[in-house]
Amino acid sequence: MIELQEVTKLYNEGRPNEVAALGGVSLTIARDAVTVLTGPSGSGKTTLLSLVGLMARPTTGRVFLDGEMISGLPERFLTAERRTRFGFVFQRFNLIRGLTVMENVMLPAAPLGEAYGAVRARAQARLASLGLADKAEIPVEYLSGGETQRVAIARALINDAAVLIADEPTANLDSALADRFLEIVAGLRGEGRTIIMTSHDPRIWGAEVVDRVVEMRDGRVVR
Amino acid sequence: MTPWINRQRSLADYTLAALGRRKGKTFALVAVYALVVFVVASAMLFATALTREADLVLAEAPELTVQHVKMGRHEMIDGAEITKIAGLRGVSSVEGRLWGYFYDATSGANYTFQVPSDPALVPGPGEAIVGEGVQRARRATWEGAPLFLSRFTGDMVKFEVARTLGAESALVSSDLVLLNEADFRAFFDLPDGVWTDLAVSIRNPREIDTVIDKASRLMPDARFVTRDEIRRTYQKLFSWREGLMIALASAAVLAFAIFAADKASGLSADEAREIGILKAIGWDTRDVISMKLWEGALVSLGAFLIGTLGAYVHVFGFGAGLIAPVLKGWSVIYPDFRLAPLVDGMQIATLFLLTVLPYTAATLVPIWRAASADPDQVMR
Repeated sequence: MIELQEVTKLYNEGRPNEVAALGGVSLTIARDAVTVLTGPSGSGKTTLLSLVGLMARPTTGRVFLDGEMISGLPERFLTAERRTRFGFVFQRFNLIRGLTVMENVMLPAAPLGEAYGAVRARAQARLASLGLADKAEIPVEYLSGGETQRVAIARALINDAAVLIADEPTANLDSALADRFLEIVAGLRGEGRTIIMTSHDPRIWGAEVVDRVVEMRDGRVVR
Repeated sequence: MTPWINRQRSLADYTLAALGRRKGKTFALVAVYALVVFVVASAMLFATALTREADLVLAEAPELTVQHVKMGRHEMIDGAEITKIAGLRGVSSVEGRLWGYFYDATSGANYTFQVPSDPALVPGPGEAIVGEGVQRARRATWEGAPLFLSRFTGDMVKFEVARTLGAESALVSSDLVLLNEADFRAFFDLPDGVWTDLAVSIRNPREIDTVIDKASRLMPDARFVTRDEIRRTYQKLFSWREGLMIALASAAVLAFAIFAADKASGLSADEAREIGILKAIGWDTRDVISMKLWEGALVSLGAFLIGTLGAYVHVFGFGAGLIAPVLKGWSVIYPDFRLAPLVDGMQIATLFLLTVLPYTAATLVPIWRAASADPDQVMR
């Protein structure tokens, strides 16, 4: 379970271009559920996702992970938590061009010190489960949009993340691929994973697989 | 394998892939870097090998040389002085030597004329044994080739080239013309009983100062030059020239450090984005710095090896053609010879410190700054 208490986030703090991205958000995200953050651009969805995924620290307020306050921990502890418990699918997928599908998928495991063969076997299995077994050695720039997204999902799950965080996952996909994504989400939820997404897309927050929709506006949770 | 080794292997794998993706930039960096190492390493290897050659040659030189000095200038010494020095306790032998310089207007080169002390090297009447530099300058490439030399009086004297000295002794023999004593005296119009200097052998080299002390009282107008002094002069000469070259090259090292810092700090948008992605997917600052250190190590060690090996081949394979004129000598006739391969571990370590450390230092801070970026930047 992830809990945020009165969390605020300022960017460029103390400078003329200071921006208040979040203004006192309290939110509890249930385990093994699919939660969607929605709201207009600039409402603070992505910032909230960053805080939930331990990519950023709140300016004020506290973040709890399974009852333990983690918002004050140094970066290396946050990174250790993030890489073993969270997986990220970015809006633009952010795969590294020039590397193969397999190399991209294995990247999050590189700092963990696991045996190369074991990581590779896990990556192969994950790619196979997402229908990408035959694409493993292809450089990622040669993939279609849907394939790219599935590689991003495989990469997010290589360390067996319990929480999958996805930022506007269907923003660049057509309807068929969005449906395919929802199927994958349903499968992951069935595996007992927690999924947190941001989305403008009514197909997402209206989908059967979604357990909760959190609506945001001007840096606050409104519903 | 331990997790630490696995981690390093993964980071190195990724680094290799990253370098492979930026082939052009990597190649340019390694090329510039290797060139800097090549220049500095060439100067170091060459000067060291040259000094060693000089040491080997000087091992054959007499412990002490005595010269007559008048008005501060070296003049011929009277043969009577041989008896005086030979009578000193501790002196095992004294030998008069005949040698001098000759400017050959035909080739525009200075030759060193000498009467050899080794009877096996003394040529017959009318014959000369020449160094390979003289042979090259006068194109006297066959045995019996005529060597016409113009005496100070203006008349020409003909010698036959009996043979040419081997390249192995070229450092000192390249500009040499060996004659027998009679021909030498006739050529320079020297009377009997005078010598260019005296070569003194001393039984116990530790007593050389005592011998000089006694001899200088007998011959207050003489100059005494020890083998060690000659050796030190050579070493200083080569060290000075090497130092000059390295000082010039250090400007290149500095320029390279600035170039490297600029490259590292001016990370391209793609590289900065890539670091952001790595941090966002779970790499921490330490991982990114480790990866960049691997990159730096591969680039710097690769360039160091290429530069050093290139310098080795340049110096010992091709006679250091690019830097020899600066370091080797002052004569028109440069010795043309292969140096014996000699690598001084301390020098390689110095070279490593001079080149790899500035690169690492120049790149580390900018990399640390880039690696410390907040991972959530990649979300935006």
